[in-house]
Amino acid sequence: MTTILNVFETYSLPLDRWVQTGVDWLSTNARGFFQAIKWPVEQVLDGIEIVLQSVPPTVMLVLIAVLAWRTVGWKMGLFALVAMGLVGFTGMWGLTMTTLAMVLAAVVFCVAVGVPLGIVAARSDAFAAGIRPVLDVMQTTPAFVYLVPVVMLFGIGTVAGVLATIVFALPPIIRLTNLGIRQVQPEAVEAAVAFGSSPRQILFKVQIPLALPTIMAGLNQTIMLSLSMVVIAALIGAGGLGTPVFRGLNSLNVGLAFVGGLGIVLLAIVLDRITQGLGENR
Amino acid sequence: MIRVEHLVKVFGDEPWRALPLLEQGRSKAEIREETGLTVGVNDVSFELEAGEVFVIMGLSGSGKSTLMRCVNRLIEPLSGKVLLTTDDGEIDVTALSAPELRALRRERMSMVFQRFGLFPHRTVLDNVAYGQEVRGSPREERYRVAREMLSVVGLEGWGDSKPNELSGGMQQRVGLARALATQANVLLMDEPFSALDPLIKVNMQNELLRIQAELHRTILFITHDLDEALRIGTRVAIMDDGEIVQVGTPEEIIVEPRTEYVADFVEHADPTGVMTARTVAVPVPGQRFEESGQQDGTTFFQRVGYPEVSYGMHDGRFVEMRVDGVPVEAMRLEDALQEETPEIRRRDAVLLCGPGATLKQVLKGRTYSRLPQLVVDEDDLVLGVISENELVHGILYKRANEEASAAGTGDAAAPAWR
Repeated sequence: MTTILNVFETYSLPLDRWVQTGVDWLSTNARGFFQAIKWPVEQVLDGIEIVLQSVPPTVMLVLIAVLAWRTVGWKMGLFALVAMGLVGFTGMWGLTMTTLAMVLAAVVFCVAVGVPLGIVAARSDAFAAGIRPVLDVMQTTPAFVYLVPVVMLFGIGTVAGVLATIVFALPPIIRLTNLGIRQVQPEAVEAAVAFGSSPRQILFKVQIPLALPTIMAGLNQTIMLSLSMVVIAALIGAGGLGTPVFRGLNSLNVGLAFVGGLGIVLLAIVLDRITQGLGENR
Repeated sequence: MIRVEHLVKVFGDEPWRALPLLEQGRSKAEIREETGLTVGVNDVSFELEAGEVFVIMGLSGSGKSTLMRCVNRLIEPLSGKVLLTTDDGEIDVTALSAPELRALRRERMSMVFQRFGLFPHRTVLDNVAYGQEVRGSPREERYRVAREMLSVVGLEGWGDSKPNELSGGMQQRVGLARALATQANVLLMDEPFSALDPLIKVNMQNELLRIQAELHRTILFITHDLDEALRIGTRVAIMDDGEIVQVGTPEEIIVEPRTEYVADFVEHADPTGVMTARTVAVPVPGQRFEESGQQDGTTFFQRVGYPEVSYGMHDGRFVEMRVDGVPVEAMRLEDALQEETPEIRRRDAVLLCGPGATLKQVLKGRTYSRLPQLVVDEDDLVLGVISENELVHGILYKRANEEASAAGTGDAAAPAWR
């Protein structure tokens, strides 16, 4: 009787064990493949971090302020100067540069993978329809859930954190590249065809330039998502601004957590405004 | 130059299902009901001669835009042929591969669009240079050609602007310059002036005619505006429901509409710029004239019922005109139109106009002299007389006076439309 009234007691689907077995199998048998993925990410990340950490903080501070001034305006330049100065004076400068390096590395790969995928999606309805549920899953899966398979396949550390970030931050740039190209005025594309442009010429001379503001909006979203994920990735030892936050939480050190959190927020605002400014300047 | 043969375009899934039905002569509505397919262009054939402006006029939904896009295969026709005569022999456009088609669009056929179709991210100069650019011309060459074409359309100095900084009329000049800059011999113009204000539109039509007189391209022009078609067309084709119902010179269309559909259109068109003196004139000598006397080898005629004016002719040539027996001064219409408009209309001068003078010119001459005008050809042979009667008749009924055309008024009655 109870077997019918509570079927879950009697029958169960051992999905958790299957996934475990699958990931185990991958981590032992496809090690070379995952190391091969890890390698370029590691190179790019190291390169960026070396540059960011080797520039003297004062020079870097001025560079960021000037960039904000040139792309947005003098008010934003001033804000960037004050905000990043605050980050530095609270002792978070080194961690902020690590976080920035991780964000930039993740964004480089998101653009390198996402823009071409977005272009393919814009040209093929079938591909767009196929990739859509995948992107939905990528965006709705809680950020923490990415961490487990990433740790199993790539281990812990900064590179693993960047890899998790790439997966998490990829969807918006694909979606908005696709959308941007599809929204290009059909008159302009028709004219390009009528003047004998090849498909490649249409793409590079008309579609991508006209889709650029939308693609830049996607880039902005990708940067913001990267930043949020990079912080969570501190859970798997990725370093950066997430570290003081989690250490503060664990030891109930509210002050430390606050300073780390403030650094994240200020960096987010500065990055957001600068990338938006880049998009609008077009 | 371009020959379009039995072109058919059907929209919908498995469009070839419509072909046997079309061959049975079924109507578009029947085919739509039976198969769900829409017939866009139904068995259209026509021929463009080198250097002419061939206008296809039709309302929206008549298939004219589809037809034009079949010519350069922006839309693939279902069946039929488009043949282009070039210096290198005849090209079957409908049989070209994708790369060959691109080459054709780069070098032989360019296009102007209703909503301009400019590239908003490029400067005016880069827009105009686009055709040369995709063809791979070196930078200097393409900018040289682009600058030259900008000056042809009267936009020198605007090269560095972005299209959205220009007015509609100027933007379409850019569109025209871009099409001219490819040096293509054939220009497809898809309602290029329809989006412009009426005054600018007339301006642009005159510009086009001026440029055409200079560059002699072969132009296929689409419009829904009959006045525009009549004004710029060397020949005009009227399209209705996917078919061409009449082809002819503007005057032929006005004077001899072949179907009720065309006649309905013509009803509202302004005939004065299209109809010629030859068409409206009443022939002399003819049924309406009687001989009134002879003097020194000159025969005088009077219009029946109007004894005060007599026309003196010798061997069919104009000699003199008399009002109440007094000879009056004779002047060429062109010369009279050159003069300042006098305060008073003269009754002591007769105007001689050529057979090709438009009704509008004859009307203007009417403000100069109130006497009937004589239509004479280059050899001074008198073709006919235009008095108030003929003018009113021409404007109101868009045709020559019945009796006049019965006597034969030349080309207008000839069925030159096939």
